[in-house]
Amino acid sequence: MSGIPDRVGRASSPVRVAPRAIPENRTNSRRDKYPALRQFAGPLTEDLVLHPGSFGLGKVPARLKPDATTTLVCGFCSTGCGLNAHLRNAEAINLTPTTDYPVNLGMACPKGWEALTPLKSPDRAIAPLVRSQRGAKLEPCDWERALVLFCERFKEIQRKHGPASVAWIGTGQIVNEELAFLGALGKFGMGLIHGDGNTRQCMATAVTAYKESFGFDAPPYTYADFEESDVIVLVGSNLCIAHPIMWQRIMRNRHNPEIIVIDPRKTETAMAATQHYALRPKSDLVLLYGIANILISEGWLANDYIASNTREFDAFAEFTNQFKPDYVSAATGLSVADLRKFAETIYHGRRVSFWWTMGVNQGHEATRTAQAIINLALMTGNIGRPGTGPNSITGQCNAMGSRLFSNTTNLLGGHDFLNPAHRKKIANTLCFPESSFPAQDSWAYDQIIEGIDSGKIKGLWIIATNTSHSWIHQNRFNQLADKLEFLVVQDMYHTTETAQRADLVLPAAGWGEKEGTFINSERRFGLVKKVARAPGQALSDFNIFRLIAQYWGCGEMFARWTSPEEVFRILKECSRGQPCDITGIRDYHMIDECGGIQWPWTSENSSPATERRLFEDSKFFHADGKARFIFEQPREMPEPPDSDFPFLLLTGRGSSAQWHTQTRTAKSDVLRKLYPKDPYVEINERDALRLGIKSGETVAVSSRRGRLEARAFVTLTVQPGQVFVPMHFAAANQLTFPAVDPYSRQPAYKACAIRFEKI
Amino acid sequence: MTTPTRTLIDDLLAEQQQLTAVERFSSRHENSELPAQARYYRDLIPLDKPRPGEQYAFAVDLDACTGCKACVSACHALNGLDEDETWRNVGLLNGGTEAEPYQQIVTTACHHCVDPACLNGCPVLAYEKDADTGIVRHLDDQCIGCQYCVLKCPYDVPKYSARRGIVRKCDMCHGRLAAGEAPACVQACPNGAISIRVVAKADIERISSAPGEQMVPGAFESSYTKPATAYTSRRPIPANARGSDSDAARPEPAHWPLVWMLVLTQAAAGLFLSNWLAAIFKPQISLAAGVLLTTTGFGFLLTGLAASILHLGRPLGAWRSFLGFRRSWMSREIVAFGLLALTAGASIPFRSVALNGATALLGFLSVFCSAMIYIDTRRTSWTASLTFPKFFGSTLLLGSAAAACILSILGRAEETNSVAHAAALSAAAIRTILFLWETRNRFRSPLQVNRFSELNLFNSFNPFNLFNLLFAVSTITGFLAIFSSGPIASSLAFLSFVSTFISQIIERYLFFTTSTAPRMPGAVAQ
Repeated sequence: MSGIPDRVGRASSPVRVAPRAIPENRTNSRRDKYPALRQFAGPLTEDLVLHPGSFGLGKVPARLKPDATTTLVCGFCSTGCGLNAHLRNAEAINLTPTTDYPVNLGMACPKGWEALTPLKSPDRAIAPLVRSQRGAKLEPCDWERALVLFCERFKEIQRKHGPASVAWIGTGQIVNEELAFLGALGKFGMGLIHGDGNTRQCMATAVTAYKESFGFDAPPYTYADFEESDVIVLVGSNLCIAHPIMWQRIMRNRHNPEIIVIDPRKTETAMAATQHYALRPKSDLVLLYGIANILISEGWLANDYIASNTREFDAFAEFTNQFKPDYVSAATGLSVADLRKFAETIYHGRRVSFWWTMGVNQGHEATRTAQAIINLALMTGNIGRPGTGPNSITGQCNAMGSRLFSNTTNLLGGHDFLNPAHRKKIANTLCFPESSFPAQDSWAYDQIIEGIDSGKIKGLWIIATNTSHSWIHQNRFNQLADKLEFLVVQDMYHTTETAQRADLVLPAAGWGEKEGTFINSERRFGLVKKVARAPGQALSDFNIFRLIAQYWGCGEMFARWTSPEEVFRILKECSRGQPCDITGIRDYHMIDECGGIQWPWTSENSSPATERRLFEDSKFFHADGKARFIFEQPREMPEPPDSDFPFLLLTGRGSSAQWHTQTRTAKSDVLRKLYPKDPYVEINERDALRLGIKSGETVAVSSRRGRLEARAFVTLTVQPGQVFVPMHFAAANQLTFPAVDPYSRQPAYKACAIRFEKI
Repeated sequence: MTTPTRTLIDDLLAEQQQLTAVERFSSRHENSELPAQARYYRDLIPLDKPRPGEQYAFAVDLDACTGCKACVSACHALNGLDEDETWRNVGLLNGGTEAEPYQQIVTTACHHCVDPACLNGCPVLAYEKDADTGIVRHLDDQCIGCQYCVLKCPYDVPKYSARRGIVRKCDMCHGRLAAGEAPACVQACPNGAISIRVVAKADIERISSAPGEQMVPGAFESSYTKPATAYTSRRPIPANARGSDSDAARPEPAHWPLVWMLVLTQAAAGLFLSNWLAAIFKPQISLAAGVLLTTTGFGFLLTGLAASILHLGRPLGAWRSFLGFRRSWMSREIVAFGLLALTAGASIPFRSVALNGATALLGFLSVFCSAMIYIDTRRTSWTASLTFPKFFGSTLLLGSAAAACILSILGRAEETNSVAHAAALSAAAIRTILFLWETRNRFRSPLQVNRFSELNLFNSFNPFNLFNLLFAVSTITGFLAIFSSGPIASSLAFLSFVSTFISQIIERYLFFTTSTAPRMPGAVAQ
């Protein structure tokens, strides 16, 4: 019987009831019996009748029958799914996932299906809004006044406090062409020094880890690797709900893979895994060093690969000596047998892929943890072959674009502001004076916010992100925001927590209302198309930047920057000779026709293969072509539980229907039905019993920084002593502890000490 | 003279409104009638149509479902549902042990039951179990929006749309299946967890009839409607797995028109009974008293029936309500009330004990049908042992309190007064018994009422306090009325009746709002 799924429930009851004949009149149609008295047709019935939709869509309701369709990539997460916009008179009336798009193969998560709904929300910003003074209401004004005000106020601040006193915080949610425009306008046009993006909150760790280990920020994989592996290791990733379409690729794996999940919680993904290691929170670095130690002491290594393609292995091997199984077992809470099983599974795998996401990236020693994963892949030779790789799964739809083209941490095209040759190259490419290029690095997000406190930042321009909700120590940012002399928020909605604090709100068109390119997690450029009209006077971020350039007085400088596709050509040039060289991508049409194109692509005259991975030639991007083993002594978590705050708070994604601070996903009735309306906190059964808390009761969760009230949900999926709150509820980040990884400066959202009170 | 020059702002605002996707990117999609998605769902739908004795059924592979919930939004998008309308839903089972915690998403839509409760309850035959496919279809244009199917379905499937005034529900995308396409949810599941199978109805009957059989833990016993959906898993579901909403107490709709309708029609039935009893035991009672009792009862009855019309989303179709007489208690109730109204109306001019008797008996029959409507839903808070005493208790209580009030207003003659006193004394007795019984139920039974109090869902307004107060007021004024005379007595009797009446309104409000509506296992704190 094994292998045959059992019907759930108590079907196996030995009682067998003889089949009972179904009375005729229960099943037979009564259509003929009461012909005059039953209405089988009519307007209400017709509303749901399906008709052939053409364009390969199958049947659709008549109301929603398109006259054309086109494919664009989704604007939520980094998976980068292709969606078919069903167009009528060029305007999208419905969406379905694109059957043959190589990323999602005809599937989408609920956010993708509902992507058009948030565009129609009544709280869209439809005109610039200005506050006459702090405390006054935001009042609509025209673009002319808004632009003049923007330039006057920021210029005045720069005159008084220096050019660097104005900074921007950008995003991973807008297209490459807009990111590049923002970065170039900010640094080369307006003379700003400091600009960063919300990608600091999700991806900075992967960037730093790859750069140091490989010599360039280069996630090596392609999604086909999910299907090719025989061992899949997921570290700090709840793929099933955070990236359901990537999980779909795992489900398509025909090699019966071992799926190992490293996560303190029994998540959806842990449920679906073949091995789940519920380690102690923030003991992941020790665990990974411990696994390396077992592999080394057993000699389960790819010695040839290590010798020819890597450096510093011997030092690493010696370093891992201190991470003996007994020690690691005590530190992680996993048994020595589990540790051995984990290591053995890697050893026996012929194609082992390692995947990580926010559980790793958002930690106090995140960069070294990501590199510990990279080390495992390098030492076992699991890189550059199908189904392998140390693979960072990105967060936002264009986090990868922000990494290359936001002109914040990196100079355009993955270059270095500190490198004079790079500055010269990009200045020549852009035809900008090299003197306008700062020869210094920008501050990171946390440093910009601290700069407000120290009085160095006086003006702030926030684009398509919601700092007042998402910043790790939300209350502190919200207090500091009042110290700013001028705060500009550029967003689709005037209702975000951040826009509500702004002195000036610039109304932006959203995804689907403009053109441009995103880069997804597997380095694939995808196209965003204009299939919906922006409401009122909302303008694409691209057009807003054009206007600001003109009103700032640097319109001439950006005379070539007239359309997203023009800027795409400029970006191609910026990438020339880099690992991310895309000079072979002719134009937007080529991206559209190929179903997206992964970087690098340099040959204009041929079509790229659909799925390509890096390092097949084992050449890394350091000057010597070798990858580095990088490691460091693990440190205690910054705020461990103590007697006053005895529980550890974990945060993370709540459901596949929610996106970050919910400025968009909360606008869809359907998505709202798919997650709990009120904040809730998951608490272990044993703790709940001890504290007398029952599911459904309201409890107060407080840390040293803030307090939230939430409904308790008693469960075994969190361990005793730990609680979980989804990050989407605004109050969650009033609790979190503002630690950052010292190398990536990415905030460590995942662990802080809290206590409970019953209300 | 200068013409205003176009600024860059003007140009960019104009450009923003130009939709360019079609002209810039010629459609890559063939204008093909053949559904491109077929390559993914070909194995998920049956090749053959059901044969006689068979039907289509959803099959859900729980092991493949990892909680992305795309099925819900795909169903919404591909069927063009209203903004807030969803036909599929997802819940979360939670349980296991500390060593092996368990959670499992459960996706659920209509189970296209072999013996559909919605169909059996519909007063206008707006449900059809398709003879060829077994799909339980809702005839939207036939529906009058009475929402009885919403109460009848133990899986919370039919959804009422106030805007449209009708119920709509999952039809397994029958139009797609007929054309060889997969239903929306089947098409959209990234893991192929939902499929359509052809199953023998006899097999469903057999499996469903096993004692205690449920589709998944927390689902209603399958023996009631014989749902066709099969949930399968290689992993045993732990015995302690429960829906994540199993501790939640959610107020159900109050259905105010029904609250008023029940109380008013039960008061009417009670009055008809009082009138009949008075006519039998005190035949010498004045003609006016009889007419007034019957007329008041008739007035209550018509007002109650009028209130019930307000409950319907499409009242114009209500004349069809007799169609479901063979199976629907709602049809039967409507027919009974129709007959009651005719006899009661006729009994006003013709003072006949026989006619009064017929009216009283029909009144009781109508209240019986009213009770059966709720008992037939199989909700644990609406069992026969809870509903009959409530409804007949109200009938007797309101009938006697109203009679006491009417007769004391009329009461000059000795006979009238004695009947009034007898009525008042019975009201007091019934009121006390009912009150004690209700109070005992509240403290003893595991009804949702208790969870409401525990979770402070009533907030500042606790209806139980008002209920207790009204009991005290109606009892005291009722007794005082007996021991006083003239306008004071009638005023007190009136006060006693009104407070009794309001207490019954509150009781019916609680009857609806605190009822435990069975559902598939739900999600956290929703």
